[in-house]
Order: sequence, then C-alpha cells, then structure tokens
Amino acid sequence: MTAMKDLFALACRQLGRKKLRVFLIVLGIAIGVAAVIGVTSLGEGIRVQAVEQIKASHDLTTVAVSAGVEQGTGSVTLITDSKLAAIEAEKHVLFVAPFVKDAFVTQNNTYLAVTGVSPDYRRVQGHGLELAEGRWFDEGEGEGSNEVVLGYGVAKRLALVEGLEVGDEFAVKIRLYGEYGGGTGGEGQGQEGQGWGGHPKDKPAVFKIVGRLKSSADEHDNQVFVAIARAKELDEKEAYDGVFVKVDDPAFAGSVRARVEGLGLSAHSAQDVIDEVNRLMLAVTVVLGFFSGISLVVGALMVVNTMIISVYERTKEIGLSKALGASDSDILKMFLAECVIIGVLGGILGDLLGLSFAWLIDAVGKPFLVSALCGGGGAGGGGELGLGAGLQAGSITAVTPEILAVGFAFSLVLSVVSGLYPARRAARLNPLDALRQI
Amino acid sequence: MREEINEMIIETRGLRKYYWLGREKVAALDGVNLGVEAGEFVSIVGPSGSGKSTLLNVLGCLDAPTGGAVFLDGEQVDYKNKRSLVALRRKVVGFVFQTFNLLPTLNAVENVVYPMIFNTREKKKGEGRGKRRGEGRSESRSESRSERRAKARRLLERVGLGSRVEHLPSELSGGEQQRIAVARALANDPKIILADEPTGNLDSRTGAKILELLKRLNDEEGKTVVMVTHDLESAKRTGKVVEILDGRISDGRLDGRLDGRLDGRLDGRLQ
Repeated sequence: MTAMKDLFALACRQLGRKKLRVFLIVLGIAIGVAAVIGVTSLGEGIRVQAVEQIKASHDLTTVAVSAGVEQGTGSVTLITDSKLAAIEAEKHVLFVAPFVKDAFVTQNNTYLAVTGVSPDYRRVQGHGLELAEGRWFDEGEGEGSNEVVLGYGVAKRLALVEGLEVGDEFAVKIRLYGEYGGGTGGEGQGQEGQGWGGHPKDKPAVFKIVGRLKSSADEHDNQVFVAIARAKELDEKEAYDGVFVKVDDPAFAGSVRARVEGLGLSAHSAQDVIDEVNRLMLAVTVVLGFFSGISLVVGALMVVNTMIISVYERTKEIGLSKALGASDSDILKMFLAECVIIGVLGGILGDLLGLSFAWLIDAVGKPFLVSALCGGGGAGGGGELGLGAGLQAGSITAVTPEILAVGFAFSLVLSVVSGLYPARRAARLNPLDALRQI
Repeated sequence: MREEINEMIIETRGLRKYYWLGREKVAALDGVNLGVEAGEFVSIVGPSGSGKSTLLNVLGCLDAPTGGAVFLDGEQVDYKNKRSLVALRRKVVGFVFQTFNLLPTLNAVENVVYPMIFNTREKKKGEGRGKRRGEGRSESRSESRSERRAKARRLLERVGLGSRVEHLPSELSGGEQQRIAVARALANDPKIILADEPTGNLDSRTGAKILELLKRLNDEEGKTVVMVTHDLESAKRTGKVVEILDGRISDGRLDGRLDGRLDGRLDGRLQ
C-alpha cells in the first residue's frame, strides 16, 4: 500500500497531539515489558550459571551406564562382558571404564564402600582421582593383587579409628549380598535383595594399603579402590555394576547414550543434569514471567481505555474521514497504526528499562542471593551445584537478544491487539452520525 | 469552456427518508424527484428542517434513504453495499461543509492530501497503468507521496491559496479555510461537488468569493455543483434553484414570493 507512509505519518501526528497521554501509556507498557525482561533474564542468568557449574564439574564426554530394568516386567539387563564389548564397538566411543561396587567390613566393624576400577576409570574421572601418597595397585589378577588405594575420607577415617597408614595390611570381611554370593558364579541372573533369606554372607580377606588419594570433593572420597579384576573375583559377580563410556566429543554423548539404551541398559550423562536444570529453570522462569506479565495486562487495558477515549474524541473526525472516502478498513488501519507506534515505542522503552532492571537486579539482588545461598554452608557452602561460588563470579542476569526481541514483540502485539476493539468501534461508526457529533 | 452534455449525472426517483423522533415519524424527504445534468450548478433552498441537508447527505452517500432510487453518474446507488458507497464517496462526490471540517493537526497541504490517502489503492488494478495524466479525470490518481503533495499544492493554487499552504487551519481565516476545504473536495477529481451551506459561516463578502470559486470550478472545469443554502442571494447566482419544503420539491407556490429575488430561475423541470 502506497499510503502506508502517509498513514503512519498521520498516526504520528495524531499521537503528537497528546504527547503526555501517549508517554504515560508507553511507559505503562514499557514497565510491564521491563518487568518480564528483568524476571526472565534473572531466570536465564541463574540457569546459565548452573549449567556452567555443571559443565565445569562434570565431564560432558562421559556417559554413565548402569544395568537396565525393563518397565513393566521388571526384568533386569546386566552389564556383562559381551554388552561391554558391544558398547566399546560403538562409533565415537573412545574407551569404556567398567566398575564393580563392593562392601568390606573391617575387624572393628567399620563399613567400607569398595569400587573395583580399571586404569581407564581413572582416566574418565580425570582430576578427581589423584594420589596423595603411595602408588596405584598392580593391575594383575589373582591372590597377589590384594592391594587397595583409599579415598581421601576413608584414609582419614581409617587412620583415625584403626591407625592404618599407607603400607599397612588389614583384614576385612567381604560382604556378599544376594545370590551372587552363593559361590556358583554362574548365571548372573536374578533379583537383588533375595536369596539366603536376606542374610548377607561374609568372606574373609587381607588387603594392603598401597596409596591414598587427594580429596576429590565427591563420592570418591569415601571409596576404597581395588583392581576391577580382583573385585569381580572377590564378589563372584559376572556383571559390572556400571560403566563409564568416554566419547570423543560432547556432541555425540546423546547418540551414544541412545545406542547404549538400545542395548537394554540405562544410561546417563551430565547432559541429563543440564537438561534437568534447563527444564526446571524454564518452568520457574515461565511461572515468574507469567506473573510479571500481569503488569502487561494492565498496560494492555490502558491501551484499550485510551483508544476508546480517543475514538470518542475523534468521532467527528472519523465521520469526516468517511465522508471524504475513508472505508471502514481505512479507519481501522488509522487507529491500528497508532497502536503500532505505541507498541514500538513501548517495546523500545521496555527493552531499555528491562536492561536497567536486569542491571539493578545484578547490582542489588546479587549480594543478597549470594549470601542466602552461601550462608548456611559456611566456607564450603554454595549448595550442591556450587551455585553460590559461581554467582560471585558471574552475573545473575542474562539479557539475551531473544529476551529483548520477545519483550519488544510482546509490546507490539499487545498494543495492537488491545487497539483492535476500539479501532473496530471507530471503523463501524455511521459517518453521518459521527459527523453530526459535537 | 464547459461542454454541454445533456446527461443526468444525478437523478432521484421518489426519494423518501423518514426519521423517528420519539414516536413521531418525520418525513425529511417525501418523494423527491430531482434531475441534475452534468455540468450544472444547482442550489437547493428551503427553510430549516425542510430536508435539503438530508437530500445532500443521501446524494453524498452518507445517509441511506428509506425508499426510492438514486442514480449517480448513470448508475443506481446501492445503499446496502458499503463498498460501493465508499467508492462513490471517494471518486464521484466531493464534500464541502458549512463548518469547513478541516483536520486541525494537519496543515493546508496535508488536509488536501488527506482524502487522497484513502484513494491510492485501486490504482493497482491496472486502471491507471499508462502515465496518461491530466486528461483522464478520475484516472489521474496520484502515484507517490510527493506527487500527492504536488497535486495538493496545485489544487490549493487553483482555489487561490498558493502562498499559505504550510499553515495550520487555526492560523487561517474562515474564507481561507473554506478554500482549503474546496481544494480537499477536489482531491480525488470528483465529478460532483456537494456543498452544504458553504457560505453559512462566512461574512457576505467572503461568502461571495467562495461562491465565485465554486462557480469558476463549474464553469471552467465542468464540475457539477449541488449547493444547499439559506441565502437566496447566493442561490440567485447559480444556474438552477430547487426549493424544498416539507421534504418535497416545491411545486412553485413560493415562486411568486421568490420570483423577484430568484430572477425566475426556478425552472420547469421541477415537479
């Protein structure tokens, strides 16, 4: 339409006639938009922080595999050697690191959680497993390899409670649960928690402590590590308790995971946690955004009100326009053009205000949030995700171009939709009646 | 010089228009048969409430009649068809009002451009494809924004307001405002100009000049002008006077009284 420019020029002129009113209405919408932008950017900022934390502390190229339980039938698919070989054969899989979980009980009835690991396991965990003292155990099988490496916490505890240091030997009972302990070593099938009427069976052994680890600040601190072959031998299991699958690129973690699940096993990666965080934060942001969006409704009502008043004021003008050849849709467009301008102004101002809201939240809200998150935990606090520590470093609001674009679109759509009813009312006026109005 | 076409550009047959005032039925138009030839200058006179303004509004497609038929430019007006009414208001008729009715926020040029804005669309239907400007009357629609403004300036010049085109209506005198209104009525090159008491809000000297302007448009450009007026002096100067009384075209009973002043111009076509 060639007259579009004229239409907008005209609309600008009309709005210019009542600058204060237009300013107030634009401000009303802008504040609504800014509230939504502020809240959304806060949600987005916290989400980004959390995800960054996860990425920093988790290896995204690792897929954790465990035995699969089929829904409904409850039948269990165990991680056998053949499954392991199948996983290893998958594309993009660098190596697999299986592990076996066991339990030892010392003479003094101290319970020790044991993990049988391969050298690859240490590569997967990377920085988490570093020796503080001593050496790793021999990988060889057989009776000679009754060597263990203690996690940071376990080492401390054993030193304190039982006076055991690196180089010492100690006797344990290996606690065997379920029918795996029956000595058959055969099928490797069945349900956990059953067999022998629920009584665990203990098997005596003597281990030598050959090393202890630095703190990894995770569950490995509380583990006793033993060579995986030895562990399997000791607990007479055929299957592994879990496998870490190392992928060459984080991008393929998902597809590898899917193929592992195709084998009937269950698999997880840090991406799951990230997805979870994303889902949670999205829900939180949407809910918060919805409530802050109520202020937008107020803005919309303002537009409706102002435009209705405007239609009343300009009834005669509308009648005149019709007498001069304006069609209903011309009148409709004239009013909607004004709404478009209001929406655009509201969007721009709303984005600017939103940016300053976000800045304000960062400046004022962050210290508050950080102290709230870190307060309970003292020096080592900050929650499980270490969010508090991350917050101190980064910004808690993230105003993305998408958020700004959505804020702008909100303003525009809202004011046009709000203007629809008044504009239709104007368009339907009878020209003669309108012209006669004083 | 104006060409003499003996063709009815406006024709009404048994035109009726009833209003309800409370429970009372008022016949604003009660069987009006009127014929106006292309290029005529007709004034409609009559006392207040005689129905002359109603007639003008019906002719201008602003009001729908209760009964009867109206033919504009050879075609019967379908008052139920909103779209065709809009088209007629755009292309066939141009309005001049007693109170000028200019948009106060727009300056003179913009006021004249205003009706053109509504009339830009149909050009796309390929009607005015070739650049045949000037001659073809309703085809010469302005193309671009600047062309529309240029045309508005030409029109303002034609009505004798060449110099003060950037002024707002509030800065201009009544006579000047009415000149803008006349230019605006010409914006879309209508064949018919409908003027509702165009001199009613002006002093007699200024009013006379506006009348002069309308006469000139009638003479030089062949615009058909239908003017409602109270002022018999003005009416006397138009080509034909139609008197309306109680919603009917007067059968000449008033002739005697008006005769001297109207110069006997109430002509025989009236019924």
